[in-house]
Amino acid sequence: MKEKLTKEEVLHVAELARIAVTEEEIKKYQVELKKLLNDVEKINDVKGYDDEILIAPWSNNTELRKDEPREMLDPKKVLENAPRHSGNYIQVPVVIGESEGA
Amino acid sequence: MSNYIATIGVEVHVELKTKTKIFSSSENGYGQMANSLTNVIDLGYPGTLPTLNEEVLNLAIKAATVLNCKIRREMHFDRKNYFYPDNPKNYQITQFATPIGYDGYVEIEVDGEKKKVYIEEMHIEEDTCKSTHRGEKTLLDFNRAGVPLIEIVTKPCMTTSKEAKAYLEKLRELLFYSDISDCKMEEGSMRADANVSIRKKESDPFGTKAEIKNIGSISNVGLSIEKEIERQAKIYDAGDTFKPQTRRFDDKLGDTVLMRVKETGNDYRYFPEPDIPFVIVTEERIDSVRKTIPMLPDERREKYLSLGVSEINTKKLIQNRSLSDYFNNLLEEKISHQTASNLLLGDISAYLNKKEKEITDTTLSKERFIELVNLIDNNTLTSKNLKEILEVILESDKSIQTIMKEQGIENITDDAEIREVIKKIIKANPESVTDYQNGHDRAIKFLMGQVMKETKGKANPKMANDILKEELQ
Amino acid sequence: MKYLNQPIEEIHKLLKAKKIKPIDLVEEAFDNIEKSDCNAYITLNKEEALKEAKELESLPVDNILFGLPIAVKDNIVTKNLRTTCASHMLENFIPIYNATVVEKIKEKHMIIIGKTNMDEFAMGSSSRTSYFGAPHNPWNKDKISGGSSGGSASTIAARDVLFALGSDTGGSIRQPASYTGIVGMKPTYGRVSRYGLVAFASSLDQIGPMTKNVYENALLLNAIVGHDEKDLTSAKKEEEDFTKLIGKSIKGKKIAIPNYFVSDIVDDEIIDKIKETEKTLEKLGAKVDYIDMKYLEHAVTLYQIIAMGEASSNLARFDGIRYGHSKENPKDIRDLYFGTRAEGFGKEVKRRIMVGSYLLSGENAREYFYKALSIRDDMKQEFKNVFKDYDYIIGPTTTTTAYLLTDPMDDPSKSFMDDVLVIPVNMAGLPGLNIPIGFDKNHMPIGMQIIANSFEEAKIYSLASALEKELNLDLNPYGGEKNE
Repeated sequence: MKEKLTKEEVLHVAELARIAVTEEEIKKYQVELKKLLNDVEKINDVKGYDDEILIAPWSNNTELRKDEPREMLDPKKVLENAPRHSGNYIQVPVVIGESEGA
Repeated sequence: MSNYIATIGVEVHVELKTKTKIFSSSENGYGQMANSLTNVIDLGYPGTLPTLNEEVLNLAIKAATVLNCKIRREMHFDRKNYFYPDNPKNYQITQFATPIGYDGYVEIEVDGEKKKVYIEEMHIEEDTCKSTHRGEKTLLDFNRAGVPLIEIVTKPCMTTSKEAKAYLEKLRELLFYSDISDCKMEEGSMRADANVSIRKKESDPFGTKAEIKNIGSISNVGLSIEKEIERQAKIYDAGDTFKPQTRRFDDKLGDTVLMRVKETGNDYRYFPEPDIPFVIVTEERIDSVRKTIPMLPDERREKYLSLGVSEINTKKLIQNRSLSDYFNNLLEEKISHQTASNLLLGDISAYLNKKEKEITDTTLSKERFIELVNLIDNNTLTSKNLKEILEVILESDKSIQTIMKEQGIENITDDAEIREVIKKIIKANPESVTDYQNGHDRAIKFLMGQVMKETKGKANPKMANDILKEELQ
Repeated sequence: MKYLNQPIEEIHKLLKAKKIKPIDLVEEAFDNIEKSDCNAYITLNKEEALKEAKELESLPVDNILFGLPIAVKDNIVTKNLRTTCASHMLENFIPIYNATVVEKIKEKHMIIIGKTNMDEFAMGSSSRTSYFGAPHNPWNKDKISGGSSGGSASTIAARDVLFALGSDTGGSIRQPASYTGIVGMKPTYGRVSRYGLVAFASSLDQIGPMTKNVYENALLLNAIVGHDEKDLTSAKKEEEDFTKLIGKSIKGKKIAIPNYFVSDIVDDEIIDKIKETEKTLEKLGAKVDYIDMKYLEHAVTLYQIIAMGEASSNLARFDGIRYGHSKENPKDIRDLYFGTRAEGFGKEVKRRIMVGSYLLSGENAREYFYKALSIRDDMKQEFKNVFKDYDYIIGPTTTTTAYLLTDPMDDPSKSFMDDVLVIPVNMAGLPGLNIPIGFDKNHMPIGMQIIANSFEEAKIYSLASALEKELNLDLNPYGGEKNE
């Protein structure tokens, strides 16, 4: 097994996680992340299980909520913890491009 | 056009008509003050958990049913992980591994030919919040965050823009008629993306795909597909290639423009949502949802035509959901359905539009409407007289005959009484009789006028006309 | 005069007779906390607690928990009371709603005296990843109090207060309870609502009570359980009194010790203590067998994959937009994300988010995550099968006793290995409890874990209380708590 991840591999996971890393940190992560990844490789030692998956250990049939509106937040409350806001809106630096999701 | 074969698939997001959001009890509303329809769940506050709105499940089952999809009986939700300011948790709760509906179809008709558009899958997910760009900043309104959506994905089975448009029209009609969604593209409650690729021959592999995102109207879907086919054909004709990409339709340009070239597939890191471990869809639920599905447009169309309603009236009725529903109550009645449809689409519609009312807001019960149709059909009530008393008819409970009496609209339908008057008129107007016998048709109009004058307009005009002709023989 | 060191019934009687007031207990608690000086709290709720205590004076003393101070782990949100998760990310975060458990303890008129120290976002096994410095072990202040609920364990062990809430994702209640010589219960997954618990790994997290003895533990569990319509993973169960089997004989009970739990991964001193306890249990009429379990040794691997995977998603919401730390003057949205998260999260958290993201990306989701979910299902099944033949599974809670705060932290696997014996319970969603069973040569507490089938917490308390009575240990670090 390799001892370290490459710099590119570290940058890739930092990108997925949206965490800025310094050159110095990259060096540490090359070793530390690799150690954890080597740990999880041990999953390949497990044999003889079936395909059924367990999403959460207590799985009663999901109880459904009645479609009845309940109390909502005062718009002022919505902004209370937001670092940046403008009018009734929460604000972020301008976003270029469309959402990738829905 | 070009000598390429196009392959088109369409993905549609539809907002469901529920009172509350999918995973929280905040109101599902449009056009309200920014950030006034939220709670801690919609904002993705630490520690919050989703709950699942029963109505969302019901409407999704309904949609799966009208789209002829198979319905999954045991399912879960998945997290789609991506960072974006409109995505409060930076993951969207959706269904990736176990979409509620799959393997469905919608029947369309293009140029007189019927065709099935196949649905790959349809799933439930949450909407993102709305962002507005203002100069250096982007403003976020979380009212839309968590509005329930279904996404309906077709197989790449369409080949022309006409088919895509017909599919969307049909989809809108089905979802609107089943009360699943408002389907207002201008308000974003229905949004369409189109995937387009072209190739020379059926036997060729599929061409490179371009996805056109968030097209604002059905006609623009058609237009953007045509433009995209043209664009791709030009590239291939020049011997060039292009990369898979995401484009959007620019209204002003009337053409598609590049948004971004797709990287090596988006890495959404899907995994099962542990906060909603699984959902069972019971037979009882499916049955009870099925019962709430009203008669769908295709069936209505077929019924109306078979009852002798004209093509044009059939089309107009179906376009007006509430009139069509009203009309559906009369399908078993022995009346002239064409007359009934004329009445609904003519004078009654005019009244409703003027008063900004729905037919269900009027006093016109089924029984009174049947009476009205019959009175018109046997000429007891003339259309001129109808116009005079329509408001009273639609605003009181009295029988139509009573209203006619009260308003002094009496119709002489007694043959002998009319004949007596006619004989008298013929005697008094020998020149007109001669004119008629010499082939001057105008004369009969004059004589009819005299008859109506004599009876103060109360003679049944059809009967009077018939008797007059008889007496003139 | 001290009251908080008296039996709870005694305190209740005094309150009821109006001989003491809730404010006396609150003042004593703050006094204790100051004297203990274990850095067990991130935020003290002094002003509000005193005010609440005053208000309670006009109310009838209607339940045994009435007016008693309670410490709450700082990953359980408390309206208008700072909740940091021991992270710079939430250093100044004031929640605008209460967790369901907080509503429940407030219904009982318990008084929250503060938010306890922990590992950042509950990631760690010694509470040393806390942005606010690690809490100390009252048995030896140079040693860790375990983690991640280290502050709650420390304050209970120090006898500052009677009650604390912790949370347990991979042993975070039981392991610190073991290191500090207290009773800590991780209830069955679904027993206690998770609404308002800042999620680390959603399919593993569970809130539970931490107390100095078994009876008080069961009382607190009584107060916090129940189905919650806000948490779809909370179970609908009939109300029960978890103290109901306390004091009952354990004669004829069948107990299994998995061989893995007494294998060479565990210190000899601890194995010896377990064997001694085995004798005690037999003396009390229980029957003990050693069994083999196939999946136990893989639990840590599954845990690493599932917990880091889920955490990478759960912690994505900390982006500096709606709450929490936010990078100053970000150049653009990318800078806001990357800067906020680089500044806001500590080392351990960043490592786990990065590895978790990687484990879910592309093909890895199948290679690791889904595979782990499959094995997890089999592992749960294996436990279920054992409980067809046995009432309990027992074993040591930890492989060592508490170690020094200054021990190295640079091995990223270390914190997982500290929890090797407690993690399987979370994987299977079972209830598990730590009960102190003695001390090592340095007089640091040794704990034993009692595991039962799902929703059999009452049964666990029964065995634990029998042992507690029989062993009659002095579990007060300052002495004087042995029954005569």
